Amino acid sequence: MAITTRGLTKRYGARPALAGLDMNVPRGIVYGFLGPNGSGKTTTLRLLVGLLRPDAGSIEVLGQPFSWRDRRRMFRIGSLIETPSFYPYLSGRDNLRVFGAAGPPTRPERVDQVLSGVGLADRARDKVKTYSLGMKQRLGIAAALLSDPELLLLDEPANGLDPGGIVAMREMLRNVTAEGKTVVVSSHILPEVQQLADVVGIVSAGRLVSEGPLTKLLEATGHVRVRVRPDEMVAAAPILRALAADRPLYGIDTGAQAGWFTVSVLPSRASEVNRLLADAGIHAMGLEAGNDLEGLFLQLTQGTPAATGPAPLPTSSGTLGPHG
Amino acid sequence: MRLFSAELLKLRRRWASYIVLIILLGLMSLVYLLIGVSGRGSGGGATFISFPGSFGIINQFVFGLGSLLGVAYAAAIAGADWNWGVFRVAIARGESRSRYVLMKALAIAFVLLIGVIIAYAVGLLLTYVAAGLASVQPGSLLTRNRLDDVARSLYLGFPVLIERAAIGFAVAVLLRSQLAGVIVGIVLYIGESILAAVLIGITLADQGFDGIGRLGMQWYQFLPFSIGDSVLSATTGLGGDDITSFILSPIPLNTALIVTAIYLAAALGVAVVAVERSEISG
Repeated sequence: MAITTRGLTKRYGARPALAGLDMNVPRGIVYGFLGPNGSGKTTTLRLLVGLLRPDAGSIEVLGQPFSWRDRRRMFRIGSLIETPSFYPYLSGRDNLRVFGAAGPPTRPERVDQVLSGVGLADRARDKVKTYSLGMKQRLGIAAALLSDPELLLLDEPANGLDPGGIVAMREMLRNVTAEGKTVVVSSHILPEVQQLADVVGIVSAGRLVSEGPLTKLLEATGHVRVRVRPDEMVAAAPILRALAADRPLYGIDTGAQAGWFTVSVLPSRASEVNRLLADAGIHAMGLEAGNDLEGLFLQLTQGTPAATGPAPLPTSSGTLGPHG
Repeated sequence: MRLFSAELLKLRRRWASYIVLIILLGLMSLVYLLIGVSGRGSGGGATFISFPGSFGIINQFVFGLGSLLGVAYAAAIAGADWNWGVFRVAIARGESRSRYVLMKALAIAFVLLIGVIIAYAVGLLLTYVAAGLASVQPGSLLTRNRLDDVARSLYLGFPVLIERAAIGFAVAVLLRSQLAGVIVGIVLYIGESILAAVLIGITLADQGFDGIGRLGMQWYQFLPFSIGDSVLSATTGLGGDDITSFILSPIPLNTALIVTAIYLAAALGVAVVAVERSEISG
């Protein structure tokens, strides 16, 4: 494992930031670390590089127990935590030179290598205060890569990047993992994480609520969306509810989305949904199957699906919420 | 060594390093030129624009005003690392917190040493310029006694300036803020001068001082910013940089130097302990 935490706890005064985080990051993958604002993501990253001391729990980094005094272990970690931080009056190159003087020995030519790698070679001599947010972000990633780390911790790395920059970052991180290194990406840009991550961990209120390979998580929390005529919704509801009796059924019977049901079943059961409705004489007007990270994220952190997706099943007396 | 070089690079590129020196040289030039111009024809102020009297003014500027500027400068440099979040970057890379802070302090001391040498050289030059304006003979600098005065001023004055700057440095590290560090550092510096003046007044009243001679040593001469006055008073025998030096008997030089060194070590120790214990959450 690249990172293992057990019962990791951290409080800021009376407010708990982490409440027993158990996290497992395998080596050689991109790990998407997700969670709502204030859920403890950045606190976790700070703990992993010794900026904070845990109140309780244990951390293993790169296969060995880690304490915040274990600074030489940090030689093997590259990080971009919170906003990228630089000396504004120095050039991008000089910033990397002075960062390279701290911590692990860094070859001078490495500075230009990482600047080229993030597409900043042309602006390397310009002062950082003249950089855009996206350029600062790229320079922050360059700083994280400076010591050619085995483990890369990136907090919201896509912040401020333009689409081209995001694609380039994705390719770069893929190349990093291709070399057997591990990347942990904390992000709010869920579609980006969905494209990038092999394994995700979702944290909520300081605890890990789900962790595993992204494809399996999405499959396990998959859904089928089916649309029937609004006047057939009452007849369709019990048939669909029976497909997953222990999972909520969502439906919409008003507005432009009227007639849509969401059934929490594996996407591979879409044809079964269609057949059961057809057997009851109800012909689907539309059928969609799958799941996305956003839906999964919202289900796990808020207990409801995405607002743009299914909505609670209304009745004639009003919206009652999901129906089990 | 690479950390020290990096700190020097940062200081070399930072405007504050030059602005502090420009302020010091500008005010010193102004005072010397005013003395020179006002003394034209009358020879007034000749003591201050000829050697060895000129050393008193130079010392007042370089180690008096220079100390105040040094406090602000050291606090600004130390505090900026927190403001910009770059301390966090260095620590997350695995750098030793103590070494980082001590190398920064050493680099600041090195830059201040260069500033002191430049300012002192300019002060000597200004003595000739002002003497020329006032048509006064400045006397020769290139005698053994005068050169000894210069050397003595530098090697005794510099530790005082560094000790005072270290206090500003420690304050900024404790407060984790550039602005707060500069303000609190200056307030402490000026506040202690005011406190010392008040305490002298009380001492004068208590002892019925008649204005002749000097009073004995007082406990407040051992305060962090005041202890240097006893050292500075030994530089040329012309007094330190404030009123205490003229009224109170100075603390013996060796004692004053030891106490200055203790304060310097204590300030750096406080800074080191603060960063070693601190959690970096911002």
